[in-house]
Amino acid sequence: MPRVNGPLIVQSDKTLLLEVDHERADDCRRAIAPFAELERAPEHIHTYRVTPLGLWNARAAGHDAEQVVDALVEHSRYPVPHALLVDIAETMDRYGRLTLSKHPAHGLVLTTTDRPVLEEVLKSKRITPLVGARIDPDTVVVHPSERGQIKQTLLKLGWPAEDLAGYVDGEAHSIDLHEDGWTLRPYQKQAVENFWHGGSGVVVLPCGAGKTLVGAASMAEAKSTTLILVTNTVSARQWKHELVKRTSLTEDEIGEYSGTRKEIRPVTIATYQVLTTKRKGVYPHLELFDSRDWGLIVYDEVHLLPAPVFKFTADLQARRRLGLTATLVREDGRESDVFSLIGPKRFDAPWKEIEAQGYIAPADCVEVRVNLTESERLAYATAETEEKYRFCATTDTKRKVTEAIVRRFAGQQILVIGQYIDQLDELGEHLNAPVIKGETSNAQREKLFDAFREGEINVLVVSKVANFSIDLPEATVAVQVSGTFGSRQEEAQRLGRVLRPKADGHQAHFYSVVARDTIDQDFAAHRQRFLAEQGYAYRIMDADEILTESEGRSETEG
Amino acid sequence: MSQEANPAPRSLAEALRARDDASLAALLRSRPDLITPVPTDLTQLATRAGTRASVLRALERLDRFALQTAEALAVAPDPASGTALLGLMAGDAGDETVAAALPRALATLREQALVWGDDERLRLVRTARELLAPSPQHPSPTGLGPAVHEATSGMSPGRIQEIVTTAGLASTHDSVSAVTALTALFTHRRKMAELLSGAPEGALEVLSRLVWGPPYGQVTPEPAAHLRWLLDRGLLLPTAPGTVVLPREVALHLRAGRAHREPEPLPPAVEPAANHRPQGVDATAAGQAYTALATVEELLKDWDEGGPAVLRAGGLSVRDLKRTAVALDVPEPVAAFWVELAYAAGLLASDGEADERYAATPFYDEWLERPPAERWALLAGAWLAATRAPGLVGGRDAKDRTLSALGPGLDRSAAPEVRHRVLTLLSGLPAGAAPAPEAVLTRLHWERPLRGAAGTPRPGKDTPAEDLRTRLARWTLTEAELLGVTGRGALSTHGRALLGTPGAVGPGGPGERAERGDLTAAAALTDSAGVASGGSAGGPAGAGEPGGPGDKLPVHHHHASAPATAPSTTVPAATASPAPLTPAEQAVATATAARLLAPLLPEPLDHVLLQADLTAVAPGPLERPLAEMLGVLADVESKGGATVYRFTPGSVRRALDAGRTAADLHDFLARHSRTPIPQPLAYLIDDVARKHGHLRIGAASAYVRCDDDALLNEILADKRATALRLRRLAPTVLAAQSDPAALLEGLRAMGFAPAAESAEGDVLITRVHAHRTPPRTAPEPVPDGPPPPDGTLLSAAIRAIRAGDLAATAPRKPAGTDPAAGELPRTSSAETLATVQAAVLTGESLWIGYVNAEGAASQRVIAPIRVEGGFVTAYDHTADEVRTYPLHRITGVAELAEE
Repeated sequence: MPRVNGPLIVQSDKTLLLEVDHERADDCRRAIAPFAELERAPEHIHTYRVTPLGLWNARAAGHDAEQVVDALVEHSRYPVPHALLVDIAETMDRYGRLTLSKHPAHGLVLTTTDRPVLEEVLKSKRITPLVGARIDPDTVVVHPSERGQIKQTLLKLGWPAEDLAGYVDGEAHSIDLHEDGWTLRPYQKQAVENFWHGGSGVVVLPCGAGKTLVGAASMAEAKSTTLILVTNTVSARQWKHELVKRTSLTEDEIGEYSGTRKEIRPVTIATYQVLTTKRKGVYPHLELFDSRDWGLIVYDEVHLLPAPVFKFTADLQARRRLGLTATLVREDGRESDVFSLIGPKRFDAPWKEIEAQGYIAPADCVEVRVNLTESERLAYATAETEEKYRFCATTDTKRKVTEAIVRRFAGQQILVIGQYIDQLDELGEHLNAPVIKGETSNAQREKLFDAFREGEINVLVVSKVANFSIDLPEATVAVQVSGTFGSRQEEAQRLGRVLRPKADGHQAHFYSVVARDTIDQDFAAHRQRFLAEQGYAYRIMDADEILTESEGRSETEG
Repeated sequence: MSQEANPAPRSLAEALRARDDASLAALLRSRPDLITPVPTDLTQLATRAGTRASVLRALERLDRFALQTAEALAVAPDPASGTALLGLMAGDAGDETVAAALPRALATLREQALVWGDDERLRLVRTARELLAPSPQHPSPTGLGPAVHEATSGMSPGRIQEIVTTAGLASTHDSVSAVTALTALFTHRRKMAELLSGAPEGALEVLSRLVWGPPYGQVTPEPAAHLRWLLDRGLLLPTAPGTVVLPREVALHLRAGRAHREPEPLPPAVEPAANHRPQGVDATAAGQAYTALATVEELLKDWDEGGPAVLRAGGLSVRDLKRTAVALDVPEPVAAFWVELAYAAGLLASDGEADERYAATPFYDEWLERPPAERWALLAGAWLAATRAPGLVGGRDAKDRTLSALGPGLDRSAAPEVRHRVLTLLSGLPAGAAPAPEAVLTRLHWERPLRGAAGTPRPGKDTPAEDLRTRLARWTLTEAELLGVTGRGALSTHGRALLGTPGAVGPGGPGERAERGDLTAAAALTDSAGVASGGSAGGPAGAGEPGGPGDKLPVHHHHASAPATAPSTTVPAATASPAPLTPAEQAVATATAARLLAPLLPEPLDHVLLQADLTAVAPGPLERPLAEMLGVLADVESKGGATVYRFTPGSVRRALDAGRTAADLHDFLARHSRTPIPQPLAYLIDDVARKHGHLRIGAASAYVRCDDDALLNEILADKRATALRLRRLAPTVLAAQSDPAALLEGLRAMGFAPAAESAEGDVLITRVHAHRTPPRTAPEPVPDGPPPPDGTLLSAAIRAIRAGDLAATAPRKPAGTDPAAGELPRTSSAETLATVQAAVLTGESLWIGYVNAEGAASQRVIAPIRVEGGFVTAYDHTADEVRTYPLHRITGVAELAEE
């Protein structure tokens, strides 16, 4: 009988199901990882998705259609539909028919190996303004300033161009890693190598897996002036701190370009916010990009990159670009812009794999369902639609449950994270803990973070300002009381707060307090989906369990 | 018919008379239209075999080479000698392959009674000759023009003599001998070469442009010198002012005697374009076969609760087809295929209710119970035999109506035969070999070049890009892949079995079957192509025997018996089943196919894998009860080799609605999961179950409320209240199934004094309520007829009427009854026929009254070209093109008055 008992099942919607417990699962995973995006990784069956972007990523990494088809046929349990194989081969074939390269005489040119394709794209109205004279039947001049734009447009037309036009070296600046008492982890090394070899692109690593180090190591590789774009000021300070600690760079060599400070130094860290500030219809801080001959641009948290930054990035195609992110999922669906403007995915490691290697802490995720009181339910039913979430997310009962959880983990480093300031203030009062919110000054924030790090403070209440890039190594418990509606990546970020490896190998706890039978519960389900798909199973508990347990404990303790 | 015994036949009837029974049987088998009704004698049979309709049908069944042979005969002298024919087919240089294939082609033509007479006097049936011979209306496929004697028929004797002398021949007394002399010159290769060697510059180039047809060219009234030279020597002959034609003899000289640019004596071989592992092919096909079953099931499940409505004209609306395509996640044409397949297999039909809808048939439930392989065999059997062509869906019919799936107009009688033929061609290849689709289409086209939509060479009808047969074949290839008959383009083992095994369908079978004769010919050709491609095509028997010109009969005989004896031993696959099987044979074949397929289909599983992200994965097909239950309890998220289900509150609620309890669901999942139930899933079920049924909803027409429980008790206890169907919902509320008025009435009758309540709960005061419409404006006055015209309009109208009148009363020669001026001519049908026939002979134009299919009458001026089968083909001056009119629609004719 011809049936092959492989670990992979190919679905008609181009998802691939991988049976994890199969003896050949590891081989298979390695074979399909280059072209298939891991979509879900729950306990038994992992789902990968084959998308054009994924296939082009694979092409960019040097894999050909033959390998992809072989991988599928080789590992598939059932015969793979012929049509799907044909489709894969055709899609992959579209990448690289067009190439952007440097012509000695004409500068940037678009060349093709397949003339009709060039004819087809040149007919497009969106391409015409981006190109110049036709040099020969297979070559056309591209305005150097439109290098990003044309890549973006060609991808939309379904003919992604391979960018071989190279990069400027930028202004040289000596940067070295100081590996004293620590070394790059193998996967970090691999990520840097893949990125450097590919020229530009995105490295996908889970929160807490040391993305900053990948950035630092890439800078040490480039040895040139570097512009780092980060989400906010705290994150900028973090980067600076980390760079001073891990590399040969000194404080003076690193500048901060933010709302408060405008320093331009060989290594400059700028926030998205300051770049996207608009005054009188123009972006006044765009000069930053031209202020130095940058050799490398690092984008932190690529999945949050605001739309205008894409626009600026389009003009920076001659510089090496490194994107760092925990997930390629974007709530706005602009994954293709990341692909065409920053670059293809160069490295990716699933969370669970890195957890298994011991680099991030295992986490216990619990959703606590809180019953609303009768009067709260009535009030919720009558609330205006736009007020509903706020109402159920900030219900009093949540406070009690949060207190109970904090009591339960007394002595550990606990973060309480929420969306609504009133709720946080109230929680801070009840828990007797400092609150960090938007109006807290940066100095105050850093002071509190330091105190928390030192263990002087056990409980910290933070608003969404702390969502990104703050490094709280000793947090072992996070309690989420409310969030930005159903944002999946926020959930991932918040979980990331507790995933840093613990000194004592403690298990991390992530609690999400949710009001039962309300819109809060629906949002929670949406937020959790990403993590559940990454293999973080949520347990669901009733609030009563926690409350009775904590009462019982306080009785025995008291 | 051998010459020693009988004199050469003088007519087709005589030729037929000389044939033996076996050969007559072969004729009737291949042209079944000749015996409906059975002719009284051979003369009648010959007459019928010579009718236009019958000849056309016979020509359509010829393969490319037989047709080319017939075409060559049509341009050859009548009768033609075998040598002349061979010359036309193979050219002066000769062509061994052609020479070898020619006897077989002639045998086919003879068997079909299209050609008769012995090898020295081959005669093409006159109708066939007319159909195939070149004429200005329909140029011959050979690209040859008329012969010299035809082209010069209208020419003045003086001009002919001029030509003859200019060509270097002696002048003659009469035109006939002059033309003969000219023809003799043109057919003499050496003299002709001499003549042409003296041609001025450019002249030969002109000829070479016309040589492969079309042979007609345009010349200016004052032709250039080199054209003049050609015209003067009759190398180009005028046909009409400004038009010249290259005479057939000249063209043949320039073509080195060949009637066809490319004679195609051998069927194009169907070569493997790719060779896959046979196991791989079978596995792929089996996978697709399983998908086919799943898809049909899914389709009918989707339609389970009220399928789409039947259009008034029959069929499925475009929107419903789109919706179905989305539901099945396939492109629309593919969705149309599945729908049609289910229909053809008798699994779905219209329910025939007043509000007509499509639904699964009871047979569907029966089908579901069968093992998968049998289910597939049933679909495949239905597909093979169906005359419906789903590929037509979305196209337009002759009346420009959209053809809808399941609708009328999708039947194509050729479909089963084409499907069978395509699969047979595939089966001729080694296992695992997939041909290029184009090769299959080319081959089919060779076998029946004339068949299909463009079959009749009728002028004025533009031919579609691809004829029906080719399209059917193309669809067959895709459909076979969809159905899992083929895998990766190669015929699977079970697909092969569908065609019937060689042993089962022996020589006994073919006798009764229609269309046998020409198909066996095709099959015989398959053999030669398959076994000895090129070299000794047709085998020693085909090439050797016809060498003796006298011995004709054995050729027929041999040919007719060929498939029964020789090839069955050499290439069984190709001869196995050239025609669709009889139902009984097909049943055996499909059963065999099912048996072969069964082990390849995946075994249904009895377990799923449950995961904490609230999904369940079935890593293969599930046992039916499990799949059904899971389908209720969870939503399908992705399909294919495996099925991914997602549990949502909605889906769990659905299961609870279906009467399951939370305990049932836990138990069900525990039983079928290989792994422990994840906590979130268990929690989800309990959480949904906790809320399920918390609120209860029912329908009531009215209610009774009263603060006094006792009073309500009293009402409930009262027997007279039974008719009101009251039910206690709460201590102070009763719900009633009767309407408020009846309830009021009933309670009053029981001696209570109830008051009606409004929706807001106020007591309703009864008062006569005058009924009013919403605001309306008063109607506009409607005048009777249009407003009276003003002066300018009137005078313009009168001018127009007068002008029209003048045109209508133009002088016309009266014919039969004198038609009133401006009216349509009106003549009896006999008169019409006589007048039109006369006009064909005289070439005059006629004025006719004509009523079209929509009943609109019109007048046209036509120049009739021919009358046949109740139709007049004529050049329509009114429309400026050649058209065909049914005689019965012509209300009358009149000759045009002389100028």
